[in-house]
Parts: sequence; structure tokens; C-alpha cells
Amino acid sequence: MQGSLRLRLFKEKLFLLSIAVLTIATVLPLFHIMFSIMIQGIPVLIKGGWGFLTGTLAPPGGGLGGIGPAIVGTFILTFLASLIGLPVAIFTGIYAAEYPNSLIGRATKTLLMVMMEFPTILVGLFVMDLVVLPMGSYSAIAGALSLAIVMMPYVAVYTDEALRNIPPKYREGAFSLGLTRAKVVFRVLVGLAKKGIMTGVLIGIAKVAGETAPLLFTAGGASRVYFDGLNRPVGAIPLLIYNLVQQPYTNYHEIAWGASLLLMIIFLALFLPIRLSLKEVKL
Amino acid sequence: MKREVGHIDTFKYFLLPFCLFVFGLFALMLAVYFSASIPIFQHEGLKIYTTNVWRASENPNKEFYGVLAAIYGSVYTSVLAVLIALPLSISFAVFVIDYAPKKIKEPLIVATDVMAGLPTIIYGIWGAFVLVPILKKYVMDPLYAHLSFIPLFSFKPVTGYSYLSAGVLLGIMVTPFASAIIREAYRSLPFMYREAIYSLGATRYEATKILVKEIKPAIVAGLLLAFGRAIGETVAVSLVIGNTFNISPSLFAPGYTISSLIANQFGNAFIYKYMVSALFAAGLSLFFIGLAVNILGILILRRYGHAR
Repeated sequence: MQGSLRLRLFKEKLFLLSIAVLTIATVLPLFHIMFSIMIQGIPVLIKGGWGFLTGTLAPPGGGLGGIGPAIVGTFILTFLASLIGLPVAIFTGIYAAEYPNSLIGRATKTLLMVMMEFPTILVGLFVMDLVVLPMGSYSAIAGALSLAIVMMPYVAVYTDEALRNIPPKYREGAFSLGLTRAKVVFRVLVGLAKKGIMTGVLIGIAKVAGETAPLLFTAGGASRVYFDGLNRPVGAIPLLIYNLVQQPYTNYHEIAWGASLLLMIIFLALFLPIRLSLKEVKL
Repeated sequence: MKREVGHIDTFKYFLLPFCLFVFGLFALMLAVYFSASIPIFQHEGLKIYTTNVWRASENPNKEFYGVLAAIYGSVYTSVLAVLIALPLSISFAVFVIDYAPKKIKEPLIVATDVMAGLPTIIYGIWGAFVLVPILKKYVMDPLYAHLSFIPLFSFKPVTGYSYLSAGVLLGIMVTPFASAIIREAYRSLPFMYREAIYSLGATRYEATKILVKEIKPAIVAGLLLAFGRAIGETVAVSLVIGNTFNISPSLFAPGYTISSLIANQFGNAFIYKYMVSALFAAGLSLFFIGLAVNILGILILRRYGHAR
């Protein structure tokens, strides 16, 4: 009897120890990644200075130059993708929230969740077939369209959930004033769900600013020209990193590390405030 | 009365086009993949999925493509990722909900949320320049040196770019995602269960074992969705998998995945008559695998959510 209790307590200790170790193993890579990127990236940013942010790509084996075109491209692509994707996403999200029991409403919700997990390379290939082939060239607009499709389900699902989380009494109160459904939604509910919807918008933006796969065959990439028009190829930071990592030149690898540091900073600057403010809301 | 109904409908009909647009987009995507795959099906039938050949040629009659190696690699690396994610994500969820000191609970969750959202190219550059050398030096080389008679370890790790590297990197990437789903389910278990179990004199190990059994559907769903995410991942994988047409049981052999095949070959595919179509056919298979896995995962989650 004593022996079996001791065994049980030993098992408990072993169990606690192992899940603690596995928990550390889960988050350890994040710190290793951040550490590696800072160790490799900070010297590049210091050595490159302002020129690294504004200049154009150096020739192979010849210094750092800059990643200006990729930075400009990422901002243009993200902005255009938001312009295209957000209206569709928000209205679709409102539909799913307003008609949750209708066939289309339910199907929409399911479709959005499927699209959230959909391989993004397939979106890129699709847009290539639809836009790039007829136009005959990679273009900023094709890249933006691709990113808009990737962004859309995130924003729509967040909008839907933000609206669903409003206590029913607000909706009932608004209807009892004799407002039409459109007014109830746009004047009352969207106002109340503003924070949730904004969260979705920012998450969507943070997501697509770091996307690579949907841009591979749509944006085309540009590292020496800043911006040449919507119908011309454009660069993006993730795309540049992907291309540079595959090159054999040491200076290109350095640039890739510097660009990764910058991308990580952009992502954290967008993501951390949202994530931390959510905690406030929850608690 | 009638007018009121009319009001409701105008709003619905204003929103409806946006919904239909999304459905139309998805349907169009499927249609594009089907129609773009037709030439290769006419050229060689289903052999595109059942053979491992990649013969590009100026002469269209000599062209022949089989993407079996890529499908194999996709499934192999994603299974590895899920095997890694399984113990990690469950342990993390249990530890963070029940046992972590209050002070580090929230930081741990924030850390995994950052991991789930981190641009995948960042995993890619870290994987290619940091993870692969570590795995080669500390895992592949010793295992090959001592245990190469086991088929799993039988391939000499020359570069380190391999199924194992891709599987480990994917495992790291999808664990936070799977863990978030498991965590939510574990958190929502009624507190009464815990009280009841502990009142019977169970140890914490025994209690957790019973509680984890309760959320089995969420674990299955979380891992399915993690599998779906792993199989669709492109750039991080393509930087560490080695990009070689290869079907090998060995963990240390380089290979291809469907998405890395597309990323790698599409650039020069237009020179040939059938290669673009072959790559779309490969994409079509990824389309269906991704769709099936994700729908299944979502359905399980939904049924589970209703059941509670």
C-alpha cells in the first residue's frame, strides 16, 4: 500500500516535470529565433545605417546597399490589399453575424473558416492565372489582390465574432426604437463592436504584411526600382528575404538577416499592442 | 407589416452580393485549378499522381511529370510535424492552464500567440541558417553514425536539408496553433470535474489524465488543423527540405513537398508545354487535401462545441 502511494506520487512528480520541460520546449524556439535574428540583424542595420532602409539592393558580393524598394512595396501591397479586402470582409462578416441561422449565413461562416486555413500558395497561383497571365506581367495589383484574398477571412471572422459578442439587449433596444435593420447594424452594433473589428483589421494587416507565398508569382519582386506603377512588378520584404536566402552570396545573406529583423519589428509593433490590449478586455 | 419585411430584405440584399462574391471567388478558384489541370490529365491521365518522374523537354511528346514524390514529402513532413506538435501542444495547454505559476501564465500564452502569427519567412531564414546546422550536427550525424542500419536513419546527411528538418520546423510552427485550440477546450472543462476528481484522492497526474481524455475531440481537431497548416506551408519548408525528387523512408533524405515544388518550378514552367498544367494538378491535390482536413477539423470542433 505504502509502496503504491509512493509510486503514484513519483509518477505525479515525473509528470509535472515533463510537462514543464515540454512547455519550455514549445516556446524556446521563439526566443532562439528572436535572439538569432537580433544577433545577425543588428550589426547589419548599424553597418547599413539609413541607407539600408532607403537604398536599393547591392550587387552580389558588393556591400549591403539597401532594401528600400521592398519596404515601399510592402507598404503599397498592404495598403492596396486592405483597400480591396476590407469592405468585402466586413460586409461578409456582418452577414454571417446577422443571419447566423440562415443557410447562407452558416455556409458563409464555414467557408470563411476554411479559407483562413487555406494554403496561401494556392491563392497566389490562382491570382497568377487570373490576373498575371492576361496582363502579361507581374504587377502590384496582382500581389495586392492575392493578399486581399488571404486577409479577407481573418477580418470577416473577427467582425462576425465581435458582432455576436454584443449582448442581445443592445440589439433589442435599438430595434425597439423602430430603427431599420441597416441602421441597427451600422449606427449601433458596429459602433459597439468597433474594437473587435479593428482588432480583426490589424490582425489581417499584420498577417499579410509578412506573407510570402501569395506574392511569389503575383508581385514578382523588385529590388532596384521603388515603384513603377500598379501594373508593374513590386517588391516586398518577405519576398526579398526568400530570394536572398537562396543566393550563394554572403552579403545577400547579411541583407536577408537585416530585412528579417526589420520584418520582425514591423510584425511585433503591429501584433503586440493588439494582443496585449485584448488581455485587458478579457480580464 | 409588409413594409417592415421589405426593409429587412433591402439590408439583406445589400449584404448578400458580398457573401456571394466570396463564394464565387472560391468556386472560381476550384474551377481555375480544374481547368488548368486538364491538359496534363489529357496528356498522361492520373499518372501525374502515381509516378515519380520529372521530365521536362522541348518536345511536348517527351514531357512527362509525376508529382508522387511531392505528395509523399508533403504527407511525410506534415505527419512529422503533427507527431512533434502532439506532446508539445497538450503539455503546453495543460501546464499553462493548471500548473504554471500565475506570473508566467500570461507571458507564455502571449509567446505562443506571437509564434502562431510570426511571418513564416522568419521561420524559414532561421530554419535554413540556424536549425538545419544544429539538427545535422547533433541529431543526424550521430544517429547516422551509430544507427544507420535502421531504414529511418539510413541516408547519409550530406547537407542537412531533409524531411526531418522540414518536419521539425513545421512542428515548431504549428504547435502554438494546435495548442491554442486544445487550450480553449481544456479551459472550458467545468471546474466541478476537477473538484470531483481530486475529492477521490487522485494525484495531479491522474486528474490530468482523466481531464485530457475529456477533450479528445478537440485534440483530434487541433492536430488535424495543424496538419492542414503544415501541408500548406510553402516558403519555410522550401528553404529546408532540399528540393529533390525523391521518395525515401529515411528522415535525413532531401525531398519535395507539393507547395515547395510549385514555389520552385513555377518560375521556369512556362517554357514547357505541360509543366504549368502539371503544377496546377499538383496544386489541385493540395487543394483537396487541405479542404478535406480543414473541413473535418472544423466539423469536429463544431460538433464538440455543440455537445458541451
